[in-house]
Amino acid sequence: MKRWLMVLLVMVCSLALVAPAVQAETDFAGEQITWIIPFKVGGGSDVWSRLYAPFFQKYLPGNPVVAVKNMPGGGSITGGNHFHTRVRGSDGTTVFGSSGSTSFPYLLGNSKVKYDFGQYHIVFASPTGGVAYINPKLGVKSAADLKGFTQELAYASQGATSLDIVPLLAFDMLGLNVKAIFGYKGRGGGRVAFEQGEVNIDYQTSTAYIKNVRPLVKQGLAVPLMTWGVLDADGNVVRDPIEPDLPCFPEVYEMIHGKKPSGPAWNAWKTFMVAGFGVQKAMWLPKKTKSEVVETYRMAAAKVIADPEFQDVVKKSLGGYQQLAGEDASKAFDQVLSVSQEDKAWVLKWIKDEYDVEVK
Amino acid sequence: MEAFYQSLNVVLNPSHLMLLVGGVVLGLCVGILPGLGGIVGMTILLPVIYGMDPHNAFALLIGMVAVIPTSDTFPSVMMGIPGSSASQATIMDGYPLARKGEAARALGSAFTASLIGGLIGATVLTLIIPIARPLVLAFGSPELFMLAVLGMSMVGVLSGNQPIKGIIGAGIGLMLGAIGDAPAVTEYRYTFGIDYLMDGVSLVIVGLGLFAFPEIIDLLIKGRPISETAELGKGWLDGVKDTIRHKFIVLRCSIIGVVIGFIPGLGGSVVDWIAYGHIIQTSKDRENFGKGDIRGVIAPESANNAKEGGGLIPTFLFGIPGSGSMAVFLGGLLILGIQPGPSMVTENVDLLYTAIWSLALANIIGAGLALVLSKPITKLTVVPFSYLAPFMILIITFACYQATYSWGDLIALLLVGILGWLMKQFGWPRPAALIGFVLAGNLEQYLFISVQRYGLDWLTRPGVLIMVVIIVASLSASIVYQKKLKTAGQSAVEDIAKK
Repeated sequence: MKRWLMVLLVMVCSLALVAPAVQAETDFAGEQITWIIPFKVGGGSDVWSRLYAPFFQKYLPGNPVVAVKNMPGGGSITGGNHFHTRVRGSDGTTVFGSSGSTSFPYLLGNSKVKYDFGQYHIVFASPTGGVAYINPKLGVKSAADLKGFTQELAYASQGATSLDIVPLLAFDMLGLNVKAIFGYKGRGGGRVAFEQGEVNIDYQTSTAYIKNVRPLVKQGLAVPLMTWGVLDADGNVVRDPIEPDLPCFPEVYEMIHGKKPSGPAWNAWKTFMVAGFGVQKAMWLPKKTKSEVVETYRMAAAKVIADPEFQDVVKKSLGGYQQLAGEDASKAFDQVLSVSQEDKAWVLKWIKDEYDVEVK
Repeated sequence: MEAFYQSLNVVLNPSHLMLLVGGVVLGLCVGILPGLGGIVGMTILLPVIYGMDPHNAFALLIGMVAVIPTSDTFPSVMMGIPGSSASQATIMDGYPLARKGEAARALGSAFTASLIGGLIGATVLTLIIPIARPLVLAFGSPELFMLAVLGMSMVGVLSGNQPIKGIIGAGIGLMLGAIGDAPAVTEYRYTFGIDYLMDGVSLVIVGLGLFAFPEIIDLLIKGRPISETAELGKGWLDGVKDTIRHKFIVLRCSIIGVVIGFIPGLGGSVVDWIAYGHIIQTSKDRENFGKGDIRGVIAPESANNAKEGGGLIPTFLFGIPGSGSMAVFLGGLLILGIQPGPSMVTENVDLLYTAIWSLALANIIGAGLALVLSKPITKLTVVPFSYLAPFMILIITFACYQATYSWGDLIALLLVGILGWLMKQFGWPRPAALIGFVLAGNLEQYLFISVQRYGLDWLTRPGVLIMVVIIVASLSASIVYQKKLKTAGQSAVEDIAKK
């Protein structure tokens, strides 16, 4: 099967090779770049990588074939560990694509995780956003009405150590009484459960929100509450350009508590929000990669992002968020890497106290 | 309605037709190879569709996925090896027919049923689009749990007069299905510290291990061709006539197929078993099931083609795929820049109609090609199996290796294969184990959600009560069936289990 894929890719790429190769210090002419994606074919990260791959092919010097290699398993830990332990080269012919589900077990100190983002070189990162909404039958008209709201709410969750840490911790910090119902598969399942009335508070990532929840809002079947926000250049959480009229989580916190969020809960929330949304997906080069190769990659990433044709792809399929190349990505991801031991310990204790789940 | 006919124009456009035929040919190949199904086909096509016009990409993808349940019948009927998870139940009666030298009849009948089933699927799909959303939303977690229980109740009818062995077999399947990460809690079960087991055992491995592996060993031991008689090649027209004679079975099972296809969560892997169980339950003369009753071929084959139409609904309207191949298809939609959602029936309705037309057309082309191919291919059943075995073993190993690309896949195949062979030797119903395995995750997940959310109140929901009635009726039918068998002093299904 892999060979099938390769043959097809070679066929597709031979067209690209007709274009004259750009000469640079690092030249990948005739090489194949393997992009390890630790998820199944057809999943969000797989689609993301396949949207990027042809453009990297175009802008990496020598127009190498960029082949996506799916290595699913263990919620992306299998692929991450493979990258860490087996990929030794310094020539940049193997890269890795991570997602929030890869970063979370790393942050939580899961004992199965061998990979360490601190050692790798980030090439670029793709942010996404999240929008929370509630069932209108509860009488909540906007986030301001959440103050003093004590009725029990139900949220369809994929698990206490999943990306759901971000919404669940946010609800908890706002003083909401939200019961997490575990066992749902994917955010799509949660959205259907919301439409069925099985749960009454939910969130969706931006692209799914626009297509699937906005129509519900129009019909009066959902009330948008807040976005998780996006990172500005200084690393602050600000309003999401997708829904600029909605307050972002820190604003809602201030509405309810009368002060800006701070302390370990806020530090932890921000770290996980950045890992799960702010720099949700990223491309990495292994530890020993030569610095000129890293530079070549980062320059290629900048060119990809500037390509008007790719901008169109970003708008259509990646939520329209500004993609981060090189230093920008590195700076944003530093917020994830610089999390303090105390804040980590705080999250682990919070998960244990709230959901009786221990991270092993 | 205008969009409906406009889409027909798009579909009949030569470039679209070419891609459709390309997709169909690929689908037929993937279907014939045991163990390879829609997921593999989609994976092959995904890199190709980048940058394509969505209508053309649909021709390729839907053409491919629509005909897999058509051609996967070849190995099921001729070798007793499931061509893909959609044709497992076809083995039960299709394979005995092939051994009687009636492979051509069985295939002729199966392809006609596939064709009609696929067309009914496309028609029903068109008709239910306006009410599809509320229909899908009617199935909450409690209803989905009850549906999985209904699937489990088929174990009764598939175990004949061996209810205890059937229940234990289903229990083995449930336990196999429990390996790996638990669906509702953050925990790994029965992994014994082996990383491979963290994601559980793949359906491909369990399907091929239970059915293909034992069959190959036994055929090798016997050292003879599959067919016990030398007559072959003729009779495919009889098969076509059989299907036409049983048109109401085709209709009923197609509707079962569409309905199960569009309910997200149950997955397409049990639709053939449910159709097969249904046909046994509703037939008066049941003695020949498992020995080569043509109705046992017609029922699963009409249902499994019909389900592909149904499966498009949750994928398009909600972005929640009902099966593995639909999950990859969903990725394909996103690569094409199409966000699934309610707008698929408003602003993008032309795409939906293109999908339906492609589905219908692919079924016609696929069944036609399969019928043409069936004559030369049936000759394989008179070849001594020792010539075929190395090839089959290679393909099966290759298919299993697709699951995770690790050595674990091959070890798992060997272990499940030995289990399957032992079950076969001692007359334990393997379908029961397979159904248990497929439904294990659903049963646990939906029960867990129902209890967390509703306590015990979910038991009184109207949908749940309706399902209870259906399940009780289905179980009573099985009990009556067993009594009949006992008085007749024989068991068809016992034969199935031993075969």
